[in-house]
Amino acid sequence: MSDATATSGPVGDDLFRGYKIGAVYDEMFESPGRPRPHYQALHRRLQSLTPEDCRRRKAMTDLSMRQDGVGFTVYRQEEGIERVWPMDPVPRIIPAAEWETLERGLVQRLTALNLFLKDVYHDQLILRDGVVDPRLIFEGTYFRREFMGATVPRDIYIHVCGTDLIRDADGRYFVLEDNGRTPSGVSYMLQNRQVLKRVFPQIFNQYDVRATEDYPAALLDVLKHIAPGGRPDPTVVLLSPGMYNSAYFEHTFLAQRMGVELVEGRDLVVDQNRVFMRTTLGRARVDVIYRRIDDDYLDPLTFRPDSTLGVPGLVNAYRAGHVALANSIGTGIADDKGVYPFVPDMIRYYLKQDPVLPNVETFRPLVPSHMSHILANLDKLVVKTVNESGGYGMLIGPASTAAQRAEFAAAVRARPRDFIAQPTIALSQHPTFVDGRLEGRHVDLRPFVLCGEKIVVVPGGLTRVALPRGSLVVNSSQGGGSKDTWVLAR
Amino acid sequence: MLSRVADALFWMSRYLERAEHVARLLDVCFHLELDLHGVLAGPHELQWTSLAAILQQQMPEQTQAAASPQAAITHWLTFDLENPGSIMSCVSRARANARSVRGTINSGMWRELNMLHIQLSDPGFSRQAVESPHEYYQAVERGSCLFQGVCDAPLNHDEGWQFIQLGKHLERAEKTLRILDIQYHLLHDLDSPEDLPLANLLWGAVLRSCRAYEAYQRIYVGRIEPEHVVEFLLLHPHFPRSARYCLQSASDALAAIEGLAPGRKLSEADRELGLVLGELRYRELEQIMTGDLHEFLGGLQKQCGLVSRALQRRYSLR
Repeated sequence: MSDATATSGPVGDDLFRGYKIGAVYDEMFESPGRPRPHYQALHRRLQSLTPEDCRRRKAMTDLSMRQDGVGFTVYRQEEGIERVWPMDPVPRIIPAAEWETLERGLVQRLTALNLFLKDVYHDQLILRDGVVDPRLIFEGTYFRREFMGATVPRDIYIHVCGTDLIRDADGRYFVLEDNGRTPSGVSYMLQNRQVLKRVFPQIFNQYDVRATEDYPAALLDVLKHIAPGGRPDPTVVLLSPGMYNSAYFEHTFLAQRMGVELVEGRDLVVDQNRVFMRTTLGRARVDVIYRRIDDDYLDPLTFRPDSTLGVPGLVNAYRAGHVALANSIGTGIADDKGVYPFVPDMIRYYLKQDPVLPNVETFRPLVPSHMSHILANLDKLVVKTVNESGGYGMLIGPASTAAQRAEFAAAVRARPRDFIAQPTIALSQHPTFVDGRLEGRHVDLRPFVLCGEKIVVVPGGLTRVALPRGSLVVNSSQGGGSKDTWVLAR
Repeated sequence: MLSRVADALFWMSRYLERAEHVARLLDVCFHLELDLHGVLAGPHELQWTSLAAILQQQMPEQTQAAASPQAAITHWLTFDLENPGSIMSCVSRARANARSVRGTINSGMWRELNMLHIQLSDPGFSRQAVESPHEYYQAVERGSCLFQGVCDAPLNHDEGWQFIQLGKHLERAEKTLRILDIQYHLLHDLDSPEDLPLANLLWGAVLRSCRAYEAYQRIYVGRIEPEHVVEFLLLHPHFPRSARYCLQSASDALAAIEGLAPGRKLSEADRELGLVLGELRYRELEQIMTGDLHEFLGGLQKQCGLVSRALQRRYSLR
């Protein structure tokens, strides 16, 4: 998207001076100078600020994040480069009715994904009935054949799901991807609210913002729900790869808020299919593990033998039913980008319902007609490698060179299973503090969905914002920031 | 409590205490330097070089040979990350340990430690170490005090807290013993009448190095007597930085930790700690002063080392 197509015009003579509404959906303005109803109070408040206020709030936000040590880490030796993930103090607002639809769609989607995982690791009816191409499953990197036939507590595979949503130019929400392995970001959702209340308390006055505080307690409920044998007071731990992991802040944050022990692989030992942690008083039994380590590193006896982060024997203890894991093993086949196009079909197949939230239109090179469409339109499409995330392994057609397109064309022909292609969708934009005034920046939304006794969506989510002008990439590793996300009570 | 967590809490606490000691020693040295000019002519390098002995760090050759030993030593003890005993090294390590157990400690503790680290790493503030050393070293002490405050107030005095206390008191005891050992050796023959003003100044600095000057003055009136200093820093039962008090507190913390184990037996660490504490509780001052003090203090320090090693064996991983 470039500003050349923008219908620009001044929308105010204050912090909004020169604010441009491009060809994309603007979260705040329906047209230049006219904020949407749920943004009007915030808009008035922002208009009353001076550039100095704006700089000061931004500086307070940064300081607050830095002092709390909120951030992700790039480590070299002992002294690490710790980067604070920038937070923008202008909140994103979602009206109650809009949220109600999102919530319904997210619950529906996770219900179907869990049914799919149970099916795919047992009877494989969906493959037999020809709804999903079996090759997609068996050739999927994240399909764990070691796990076929295993029973998991309460038939729940994905307990925590982070679903990425985007909006097109008309403001319609689409699911861009599901994150059903070890999604992160929820600590930022919670931390952003704390920080905003500290630096910008006045703007809360005119809104009834639903609290997100309950997330850790809700997560703990989910973890207790899956305790082996329904044990009433299970010992729950959070298994982290340790302080060198980029999401380490989140691990400590959640462990602390839930009041559970944060453990590393070296703290755990498996003895006769039971899991114990090493304590100052000897071994202590562990019942439920919220693991933030990928399948590959979880257990060197089952998966990667060179992993030093995992716990030898953990997978067998899990299969034997003596310990519960969240998320379960092998959930990656459900958020595989190659399987993603079939999620609406799964919803119809298992639930006999129409999907509430649509997918982004997706072309699969395995289908001959799609293949020819992809090759003919590489300059318009986004081509994604199915096994990569974090904005890596992508071709953004409109911004690509002929050489890059040729490279991808060859790769797509050679390994059709490994790619998908989607139309380039310009994400919606949101006013964001930039150098003492407000400019539109692209945003997405990752709500967090929990599946225990029932499925719960915490009212809010992580709004990621692409800070460089015109950028569509919101990932923290690529210049992204975040915003507090308000879901209104009415 | 996870053994790994216990270990990290112990070292977090020790490293911060160590940083505070280095800061105080440097602060005292700077003040003393200014006072000494009026009493004693010539360069006063000895008090600076004695710091390396107290901190048991091998000074690099270029620091020893520097044109201005004071500036070189100050830099080496404050900023040099190659020196494991420098303030920055210690604060960084305390913070790294705290970071590895962020899920266990309260958020205030992490915040104070993180803010101290941010402050000390700030280039603008670092200049204070040269321009206004007192302000810089005070910041370290204040950071340590704030940390202890948030650690004591909102944290349950549970096993984790006891490990923090254990680390702090063992570190303090060792530093007090070390300061006394080195300084007594340097100062004990300053006993002629014309040396008295100088001796008073230097012994005052020794007390200040242990944050003991005011407490001492409330008990002993008049010029500072070496024998009183020894008694106060070594044997006083209630002064919180005397070796006896620190080791007693360490012993209490250890008893609280080990008392939790079912059917406990006296552990090796417990026994070693009891032995060193016995020396301080039951030995007569006169007996200590007439014997070889250096040897006596050396023995106590060695014994403290045994306590630390026994703790490592008992509680560290695997």
